[in-house]
Amino acid sequence: MGSMEGDALTPARPPKPSSFRRWWVNLYEGVVSTAQGMSITLRTFFKKPVTVQYPEQELELDGRYRGIHFLEQDLCIYCDVCAKACPVDCIEMDATRHGKELEWHVFTLDYNRCMLCELCVYPCPKDCIHQGEEYALVTENREDMVLDLLTWKGLTDEQKQKIAETEAAKAARDAEKEKGE
Amino acid sequence: MRTGGWHGWSQTLADAIKLLTKEDILPSGADPVLFRLAPALVMGSALAMFAVLPFAPGIQFADLDLGIYFLLAIASLTTIGVIMAGWGSNNKWSLYGAMRGAAQAASYEIPLALSLIPPILHFGTFSLLNATEQQSGWGGMGWYVFSDAFWVAIPSFFLFLTASLAENRRAPFDLPESESELVAGFHTEYSGLRFAFFFLEEYAAMFATSAVATAYWLGGWNFPGMTLLAEGSAWLPWLGALAFLLKAMFLVCVMIWVRWTLPRLRIDQVMTLGWKYLTPLALGLMVAAAGWEAWRAMP
Ligand code: SF4
Ligand code: SF4
Repeated sequence: MGSMEGDALTPARPPKPSSFRRWWVNLYEGVVSTAQGMSITLRTFFKKPVTVQYPEQELELDGRYRGIHFLEQDLCIYCDVCAKACPVDCIEMDATRHGKELEWHVFTLDYNRCMLCELCVYPCPKDCIHQGEEYALVTENREDMVLDLLTWKGLTDEQKQKIAETEAAKAARDAEKEKGE
Repeated sequence: MRTGGWHGWSQTLADAIKLLTKEDILPSGADPVLFRLAPALVMGSALAMFAVLPFAPGIQFADLDLGIYFLLAIASLTTIGVIMAGWGSNNKWSLYGAMRGAAQAASYEIPLALSLIPPILHFGTFSLLNATEQQSGWGGMGWYVFSDAFWVAIPSFFLFLTASLAENRRAPFDLPESESELVAGFHTEYSGLRFAFFFLEEYAAMFATSAVATAYWLGGWNFPGMTLLAEGSAWLPWLGALAFLLKAMFLVCVMIWVRWTLPRLRIDQVMTLGWKYLTPLALGLMVAAAGWEAWRAMP
């Protein structure tokens, strides 16, 4: 209510000598500001709620969303750059080289620590680690938060298409950026 | 809504069962008698208020000659329950909440009672039933707010609503509870059914005060078109009760609407509003109403 002196930012000053006129002004301001506030809440009440009933409905994410990672394992060259780039050190990998062929043992990402910052994505020389749109990371214990990215081994066509789309969008963005500069 | 059927209607039932089956905790340092008595007193007095409410012609538990007086007296008992809960819990948050509740109730009971004086003077009765019956004119629209004294009726109506918000510890006057500073205020230590009683009391008291406002200002059960019904029609009590409930529930919704809008006041602001603004205004309205009724009654 506007009728009171002082608020969070300007703590109450020592009371000024009271005046009868001030009393009426305070009263008027209190009534008017309350009415304004009430009209705002009333208008909002009749608007369509913006709440998304999550498990049933989901938000449309745009391609920039940084969700759970996926790896194009056949492109990856086991260079460890992503793991080094990670500020919280959550990527673990191990593989054996057989000439040009790689035999993967582990490629895990620990989502207990990962903050989905995308810093591991930028430096990859083969551009083969991505962040997808999957974000539901609900598990019953901490061990399950360490995801094995090798499970994306054989990417489905859908995933491949998603990767292609993400890449195209990224390229378009970069081109635009360059044009802008 | 995900669970609980259509728009989650069964959530309320589930909530009630949950509250019934929760553990009833008595803190070891608490005063067992006061702690146990407080929710019962609060709930009992909230229910007692319903005894004098005139829901419809013939639907009223007791038509007391001093109905509104009884109601105000009973309503202030809930404050004693709040103080008992705060003191008996042996917890500083509870005690702070209870002290605020006491200060608030003591300040706001005065404008609450004073704002009732204009309608009491207008109808010349303390009985809610009699006041409602006097508003049946104009085909059911002879409400006090539409009477010739509307210029006193409307401000006193808003004054009553504001003071009853404070009396029922509703936002922006929910200082006894203020969950941001006092955890849950006077009912911090309560759990299960006893906690539920405090909440039920709050809503029951909201409904009771809204019903009083309905009976005195908004014509009680009188609704437009009631004269079309035959004299002594069996429909009248039902439609009347419906009209009464609709009006009272509308006022309850207004109270909830205020809660969406206004942030909680600080205790000194609450006191300033009560003593420096509402009380003088209520006194002024009382004088205005008395002058108007006296002038009208002159031969
Ligand atoms: S998103 Fe950030 S925190 Fe997560 S693995 Fe990549 S670099 Fe590490
Ligand atoms: S930076 Fe890229 S290529 Fe190198 S290990 Fe990580 S994902 Fe594989």
